[in-house]
Amino acid sequence: MNWAAVSTMTVLLFLFGVSLQASWQTEGLLNQFGSQLVISTYLDSGVDASSLSAQVRRLPGVVEVESVTKEQAWAQLTEDLGLSDVSNASSELRGNPLVDELKVKARDAQQVPQLAMTLKAMNGVNDVLYVSEVIQQLRELNEGLRWVSLTVVGLLTMTAVAVVTTTIRLIAIARRQEIEVMQLVGATRSWIYLPFLLQGTIFGLVGAGGSWGLLLVVQQGLQSLSTSQQPAFITFLVNGLQLSPQQLFLLPMALLGLGIGIGLIGSLLAVKKVAAQ
Amino acid sequence: MISILSRKPRSSAVIPKHSANSTAPLPEPLNQAPAESLGTRPIPTAAPIIALNRVCKNYANNTPALIDINLAMVKGDFLFITGPSGAGKSTLLKMLYGEEKPTTGSIHINGQNIGQLKGDRLAMLRRRIGVVYQDYKLIPLRTVAENVAFVLHAQGYSRKEINRRLPITLKMVGLQDKADRFPSQLSGGEQQRASIARAVVGTPPLLLADEPTGNLDGDNAQQVIKILRRLNDMGITVVVTTHDEAMVQQLTYPVVQIRSHRLYNFR
Repeated sequence: MNWAAVSTMTVLLFLFGVSLQASWQTEGLLNQFGSQLVISTYLDSGVDASSLSAQVRRLPGVVEVESVTKEQAWAQLTEDLGLSDVSNASSELRGNPLVDELKVKARDAQQVPQLAMTLKAMNGVNDVLYVSEVIQQLRELNEGLRWVSLTVVGLLTMTAVAVVTTTIRLIAIARRQEIEVMQLVGATRSWIYLPFLLQGTIFGLVGAGGSWGLLLVVQQGLQSLSTSQQPAFITFLVNGLQLSPQQLFLLPMALLGLGIGIGLIGSLLAVKKVAAQ
Repeated sequence: MISILSRKPRSSAVIPKHSANSTAPLPEPLNQAPAESLGTRPIPTAAPIIALNRVCKNYANNTPALIDINLAMVKGDFLFITGPSGAGKSTLLKMLYGEEKPTTGSIHINGQNIGQLKGDRLAMLRRRIGVVYQDYKLIPLRTVAENVAFVLHAQGYSRKEINRRLPITLKMVGLQDKADRFPSQLSGGEQQRASIARAVVGTPPLLLADEPTGNLDGDNAQQVIKILRRLNDMGITVVVTTHDEAMVQQLTYPVVQIRSHRLYNFR
């Protein structure tokens, strides 16, 4: 086992895993803030959502309109707040304080501000809300970070391929006489290459295992943050950073795939070069 | 007109036309007959196992190594290729097992143009060719038995077949008691015999030996030649390069010589 190759592979895969995980988690976090295409349109008190729904649907750039009555919104709010006695809460506030809402989905992000203005100008509409500029900038930042991480992972991939190639090449050079004899007695290329390819694959497997372990430790640390007593916003953030079961399966698979791929490419390059000499 | 050199009626080594007409003096006579008189022998009708047709080989710096080589051998032939060091004997042999490609001309081994083969197709043809090297090319960290069995492993033989062939081959070269020795624990002659065992364990129909006695004393050289003759008697076609003309003189096999990059009929 060559630790230089394995540790380089582990670091690369760990950083790849972190960037992939970060990208998924930021996406999840942003989704918690709401979709950037949906405009929440709050109606005046006493105005029924269904009365405006058809009119809004006819506006240019509108894809979908969903009505949320104040009763539904009140039920959702009390559930979110963890109130068990809904009627008591209502009586204390002298009835349902909320208004009907229309969730208007725009065709694309550029149309959102214009559509929001049109909606606000309509009779019976009290206020409109949509994903703020900050969230938009956060998304752009996420997009930028994704490119940065892709570049870093790309550079590290080349480094890992170079390290694996050098390592396997040294092993192949040490066994050059054996390789030469194999070639001269009629061994097929696959028979000659296979042991070296297996070695490269093992580097990838061990690297993937190590990086997955490190990622689990990080994940565990985040988990403990969310379970301990923390301000609501931190808990909200940490919940957004949790991976879905599907992602928990995809991440190790991606690490394994990349690790094995790099191991195979590195060892193939090395053994081909030595065998050709 | 072609000339034919033969020890047995079935044996033939076809020498280029220029050798018969060459004005250059031939080497000191070794029962040398004019090439024309040899040409009266019948040309064998069997398909040649080796056929070189107008082969030229240039080195990387474009200087000629071999010029216009024509040669044909049929199954069961035994041929010595002689010539001084650097004449191109090893280059010729390397072209026969595909280690070097001819610059022009064609080389057919068992009917296949070896110059056009590469990768696994070349590997498959090499399984039909045994090669003995002057420097033995034994793997130092493997025992004699492992070195010999290595060929069979590489060629995909079963464990049972390897166990069947190994003792027979080692016995044939007289190394049955040294199967577990490493190459460094063997004498030069023993290492060369191990190299022969490795070359023939896969029962190839063609055996190429590049200066197999070059590093050996007289007794060991005799032993090696004896083994090669025995293999030839079993039907294996044998090509041996050597610069030892004294050894060649003691035997009655056909001899060709490389001189000034060309192949000449010697005996």
